[in-house]
Amino acid sequence: MKQDAFSRCHPAVSFLFFILVMLFGVLIQHPAFVLGGICAALSYYLLLTGAKGLKFLLFSLPALILIALLNPLANRSGKTLLFTVFNIPYPLESLVYGTVLSGIFLLMILWCGCCGAVMTSDKFTSLFANLIPALSLLLVMVLRMIPNFMRKGRQITGARMAIGKSVGGDAKYTEKAKNGMLLLSSLTDWALEGSIVTADSMRSRGYGTAKRTSFMQYRFTLRDGILMVLMGFLGAGVIVSMFRGNTAAAFTPLWDVAPLSPFGLGCYLLLLLLPTFLHLKEALTWHILRSGI
Amino acid sequence: MKKAKIATVIALILIPLTVIFGRKLPGRSYYMTSMLVIAEIMVPFFLSFEGRKPQARELVLLAVLSALAIASRVVIPIPNFKATYAVIMLAGIAFGAESGFLVGAVTALASNFFFGQGPHTPWQMMAYGVSGLVMGLLFAKGCLPHNRLAMGFSGAAAVMLITGPLLDSSSVFIMLSRLSPENILAIYLAGVPINASQAVCTFIILFLLGKPFLEKLERIKLRYGMGDTVN
Repeated sequence: MKQDAFSRCHPAVSFLFFILVMLFGVLIQHPAFVLGGICAALSYYLLLTGAKGLKFLLFSLPALILIALLNPLANRSGKTLLFTVFNIPYPLESLVYGTVLSGIFLLMILWCGCCGAVMTSDKFTSLFANLIPALSLLLVMVLRMIPNFMRKGRQITGARMAIGKSVGGDAKYTEKAKNGMLLLSSLTDWALEGSIVTADSMRSRGYGTAKRTSFMQYRFTLRDGILMVLMGFLGAGVIVSMFRGNTAAAFTPLWDVAPLSPFGLGCYLLLLLLPTFLHLKEALTWHILRSGI
Repeated sequence: MKKAKIATVIALILIPLTVIFGRKLPGRSYYMTSMLVIAEIMVPFFLSFEGRKPQARELVLLAVLSALAIASRVVIPIPNFKATYAVIMLAGIAFGAESGFLVGAVTALASNFFFGQGPHTPWQMMAYGVSGLVMGLLFAKGCLPHNRLAMGFSGAAAVMLITGPLLDSSSVFIMLSRLSPENILAIYLAGVPINASQAVCTFIILFLLGKPFLEKLERIKLRYGMGDTVN
């Protein structure tokens, strides 16, 4: 997979970034913030995933529209009545609120998509290896075993097929279930035996005798430090504007949205666009360097 | 061990504080509040596992059970017929409530690295973990007998009454703009058919596979003399 500039930063930087943007994304309901957030998140999301990501978004579009349209039925406290369905009022404010909510939902989908692409499991475990060594080792082992078990499952299926015990696609449900459970059973046997071998091998190599050191692929450089400080400042700016009430927004029963504050929104958008900026800067540098030759 | 006890006490103080403070915040703050409470519940479990300094055999065995729970989803190629809950529950029955919780939580986290992380991840970790925890408590020494009917029925009940509703709660907090009894009821009712099908599936697997599975684990424990390392 192609890695962008932000993905190559230290995991702590990415982790702090996603914690901050998801926290703000959930907490802030101000329409301007939500809209700006979606634009910023979308730019980075498309940068990371390309056409594949766009297709996934189109799939989730019906759910988003549904959330927006159904909100008035769940929250009927709006004052401006649009119409009534089966004696249930359908107020305008609730519809607007539903739209903002589905915007927040979209924002979460986008950030989770980015987070999945940037915070790969190896970064996750290397970040927590010192804090929770046993648990992150557990997670690493599980992640390694899953493909292993699937491969073994396919081998068992193949072996059963060779002795005429295969179950075709048109077999009865009970037969399929029975076959699946037999498969799981033999896979369990094999996995448990293997686990003892692994464990004994770990012990004979000295597991548990000293503090475990972990393989660190990422080094904390000056650039990572600068980025984290910058994110800290921008995040603090957003929090300040939150406490000043500049991000407050209430939709029902009456539309009451705080006037726009350029400072808060500016901090928020700068924070959100950091990964995109990094990518642009790198692309630009590369372009200039190449054109210099 | 000491760290874990302190963490438990802190969590017991923090959870009510979080709820009280969370109610004061405007808007959809219940979303954050619920996330924080989940984290506060899970941290003591994790710290107690860390503080115990688990042996290699226990660590690998828990990893194997968790990986089996995830792989079973792919190995049994029938839609909606997932052995995940059953495997987590059997882990709880065989190795106790705490290990059951751990296997469940790690299963949810690890499987989401394959199927996509999202705002539901903490809820899923909690729900899966609790299913292992509950079965571990129900089948501790001297409680329910380890026979197929008891395991099947309590497993189905745990899915129907605890794990399913906990997963539905994540939708309540993520999607609703206002919490009202009718809205919440609607979401839980929408979840009932899915939960029921999962409960039936868990019943079948625990009924047919539960006993042999436990015997396999017992055999491993006996063969390699692991009575002490695994509680």
